[in-house]
Amino acid sequence: MNTILQFDQVCVEARDRDRNRVVTPILQSVDLKVEMGERLGIVGGSGSGKSTLLRIAAGVLSPGLRLTSGTVSTAGVNMLDVEPKVRQEMYGSSVALVAQSLGEALTSHLTIRAHFRDTLGRDVADETILSSLDDAGLDGAKYLHRYPHQISGGERQRVLLALALVRSPSLLLLDEPTSALDIGIAADVLATINRLQKSRGFALVCVSHDFGVVGRVCDRVAVMSRGQIVEHGLTEHVLATPSASYTQSLLASIPRLHVRIREPQLSVQQPVVVVRDLTVIRSGSTRALDSINLEVGKGEVVGVIGESGSGKSTLLSVMCGLVSSTSGAIHDGNGFDLSTPLRDRPLAVLSEIQLVFQNPDDSLNPVRTVEQSMSRYTHVSRDEVLAALDAVELSQQFLSRRPSQMSGGEKQRVAVARALLAHPQLLLLDEVTSALDVTVQASVVKMLASVQSATGMSMVIVSHDIALIASFADRLIVLRNGRVVEQGSVDAVIDAPTDPYTQHLVKLAATTIRK
Amino acid sequence: MLFTLGAFVSLAVLSFLGIDALPGDGCTALLGRFGTPAKVAECREEHQLTDPVIVRLGNWANDVVHGDLGYSIKRDEQVAQIVLPRIRNTAMLAVVAALMAFPSAIVAGLLIGRYPQSRIGRAINTLGVVAMTLPEFVIATILWLVFSIWIPIFPGVTVVPSNATVVELLPHIWMPALTLAAVVFAHSMRTMKAGVTTIQLMPFVESARLRGTKERVTLLRHILPAALPPVVNTIAVDAAWLLTGTFVTEAVFNYRGLGRLAIDAISDRDTAVILPIVLFGLGVYLTMSLIADMVVRLLDPRLKQHRS
Amino acid sequence: MNKRIVYCVLGFHAIVALLAPLLPLAATDEQDPGATLQGFSSAHWLGTDALGRDILSRALHGGRPSLVIALLATALSAVIGVALGSLAALAGGWIDEALARLIDFLLAVPTLILLLLIASFFGHDPFVLSVTLGLMYAAPIARVARGSTQVLLARDFVRVARLQGGRGVNLLIGEVLPNVWRVVLTEIAMQFTWIILAFSSLSFLGLGASPPTPEWGLMIAEARSYMTINPLSVITPIVMLGSLVLAVQALVDRE
Repeated sequence: MNTILQFDQVCVEARDRDRNRVVTPILQSVDLKVEMGERLGIVGGSGSGKSTLLRIAAGVLSPGLRLTSGTVSTAGVNMLDVEPKVRQEMYGSSVALVAQSLGEALTSHLTIRAHFRDTLGRDVADETILSSLDDAGLDGAKYLHRYPHQISGGERQRVLLALALVRSPSLLLLDEPTSALDIGIAADVLATINRLQKSRGFALVCVSHDFGVVGRVCDRVAVMSRGQIVEHGLTEHVLATPSASYTQSLLASIPRLHVRIREPQLSVQQPVVVVRDLTVIRSGSTRALDSINLEVGKGEVVGVIGESGSGKSTLLSVMCGLVSSTSGAIHDGNGFDLSTPLRDRPLAVLSEIQLVFQNPDDSLNPVRTVEQSMSRYTHVSRDEVLAALDAVELSQQFLSRRPSQMSGGEKQRVAVARALLAHPQLLLLDEVTSALDVTVQASVVKMLASVQSATGMSMVIVSHDIALIASFADRLIVLRNGRVVEQGSVDAVIDAPTDPYTQHLVKLAATTIRK
Repeated sequence: MLFTLGAFVSLAVLSFLGIDALPGDGCTALLGRFGTPAKVAECREEHQLTDPVIVRLGNWANDVVHGDLGYSIKRDEQVAQIVLPRIRNTAMLAVVAALMAFPSAIVAGLLIGRYPQSRIGRAINTLGVVAMTLPEFVIATILWLVFSIWIPIFPGVTVVPSNATVVELLPHIWMPALTLAAVVFAHSMRTMKAGVTTIQLMPFVESARLRGTKERVTLLRHILPAALPPVVNTIAVDAAWLLTGTFVTEAVFNYRGLGRLAIDAISDRDTAVILPIVLFGLGVYLTMSLIADMVVRLLDPRLKQHRS
Repeated sequence: MNKRIVYCVLGFHAIVALLAPLLPLAATDEQDPGATLQGFSSAHWLGTDALGRDILSRALHGGRPSLVIALLATALSAVIGVALGSLAALAGGWIDEALARLIDFLLAVPTLILLLLIASFFGHDPFVLSVTLGLMYAAPIARVARGSTQVLLARDFVRVARLQGGRGVNLLIGEVLPNVWRVVLTEIAMQFTWIILAFSSLSFLGLGASPPTPEWGLMIAEARSYMTINPLSVITPIVMLGSLVLAVQALVDRE
């Protein structure tokens, strides 16, 4: 067999140019070998070096990084060391990299056809482009003259695949190929990748934080942590009997259907918020939410599941008052009308409902310290701030830190602690863990469970991940296109879903990791 | 478009009232400090300056709509005949300066952004910034010293009258044009450079390279169009300035353009001439921003679709 | 440019502008008919101009008129611009719309002609000029402040602050302004240099500072005819003016 990619004792370090030239190791003695036609997955958390590894395979070393020892050979060439011209000629013809891009990897001012013509030359026949798009699962004729903003995220990813493969490279490098996509669409894209790999026979290296993705498209898997490959083997073996402790904790952190972090409470008590026939109409006539009915009982945890555009974030925004409803009623447990604008609400009503957002980088004011952020509006003493930090398992050292000095998980904990200081009856959690590594996610969810049991507050937790929500909530609501398509107790929904969309979600979640 | 028109009309009325409110009018300007109150009053009677403001505004607006820009008592001449040749001269100067500055700025910005390590690029960048930051009269003085005194290839001071033919005017245009070009060059060059620097790091550029797009194609078809919109806005502002803000340069080289006329008219307090110059400035600025908006919309398919 | 050099130059200008009257210099208007257009000498370190006045003394005093105006005008435009822009964005609705139009409107006014008119008709009273410039230049600052306030108001940390009872001016001061300030600062510094340039240009044209006053633009205008006889008379004010504006430019340049 031919070796298409080989890493030999590769070490890479990052130099921080501003701060005293601190040197951080990014890759440490990495050995790796990929044969022709093989499919290798690389799994790791953020900062594990997995993307750096993939980019080095394509001869790209990001600014600030330096290869200190070892050799990399891609299709028999050391791409880090060749003339830029030679490297440029190898792209697309012998190696192609589709980088993680959240859909911004296409040039917004060029049509799909122009992308192909720039890659293949001006005289390329439209038939070539069409068949390439067809291969990637797109009806080519429909897409030829469209601009990137006119097609969906999944379609963009397919176009990128078609572009990468149009000149038949022997090695395809994929970085988080589905991270920005909804779970159903992600599964379809992965199936297409599998089909293309089988028919074309190229070697595939796929990097992901998600064992589920790698499990679907790769025969072998390498697990990375802190710049090192800690485990390497056949995907099935690694999943079934992980040997490295990091792999074990990684796998244990993945939420699974039927594995509970928090025991459900089924007794219904008096509600803290009641939503009746709630409808929100966004610009034009699209219904972001359509006749929603929902009651959240005291001490109850309601999980809301939906893909992007399902209206799940809008629902939370309406419940806390950041977005106003078009029609319908919403009031709290005392009957206070919650369609009242925020500025007209008494402080006591205002603090009843608090919200924690998805993006840790945006949830805290960059110029304020943790203490300032936490006490500015709640006017609490330092002791209370410390108690709240303690509840989210942060030490008092964090008082004086600014957002730039904290990790994503730490920022989300601070955001939760700040919400707790308002002593809300209802805490709304909008995808609070989706930007976090899976091990960090597990610890944050555990922390939330202990906060819930200690305070007895109600929660509404929104996520795209049905397994995560099922492990935490008492009751589930499935949203699709602004409507509730299914609701019921967690067990009822995951054991016997009635709606076809829910059935699909449960099936995908159950098969994510073949164990 | 509607806003632009509305803004122009209301600003025009404001300008009329503002200039009217300034101390002095055509008669005091004509008679200067020798004008006795009686003589001034007589002159005002003769030129219908005693009407209430609102009547004069109405008459003036009616005249302007019918193509009559008014009459300068001080210069004893139709304003149109004073202003129009000056607009032509300034426009010629602006066109020459624009041709010197903008195309080269776009090319330089693109290349300096793409090859930031290049020494020539850095030198051009530094020179451009210095020229952009220093006042025009300093640049004019330096250029004058170099090209008229040390290496006398261009005449230092224009001696042709304002209604000279284009051919007569041409030899005198290079020095002021060079000064103006030096002042505006760095604006668009740096906007372009900043755009290229940011855009190069964007995923779509790397994605294009990694699928084997040739470097020239990546630069010209992927990076350049994405970096252009802010440059278009910069150029629009600079172009408006070239047409209306060249007082200092025209004064230094005694070039008989609109700026020179504005300074003379302001020194003479000849309000009849100042007013159309102000209006011209307004019109140019508003037209330029309108054009820039349209060009930017053409460059980005997302905006194109959105607006229609 | 090296930041340290930039700070030194700025510090030098600040000290000179503040202390020039106290320094042991020749009087700025003291004429010496017997020693005109001289080069370096122990009596006149940087020589004399066409009227025999000490160039060093005049150059060190020459920044004061434009600095006063620039400081007053930028302070005024910063306060008005930031307050108007951020309050409008916070208020939203028709107030915001109206302000956006007003800004567009003000931006269309040809500033230089206005400046020339005011200087010519009202003289170069620093107060009148500063107030006019401050009001005119509030428009671009208000635009920048409004834009970045709008962006900030939509960010999660501001929305959370609203849920915790932050509202109105309190919310602006607590969450928005510390972040707006950084963006606006660049604009303010650019205006500062621009106003210095504009005023010395006015003086150069004979419409700013009037003759006995030492002012860089005026000095350059007066000395231009004698440039070949005594280059120092032109070079000195050019170096002073140039070093000040280049240093401010280097300070705001984010390269």
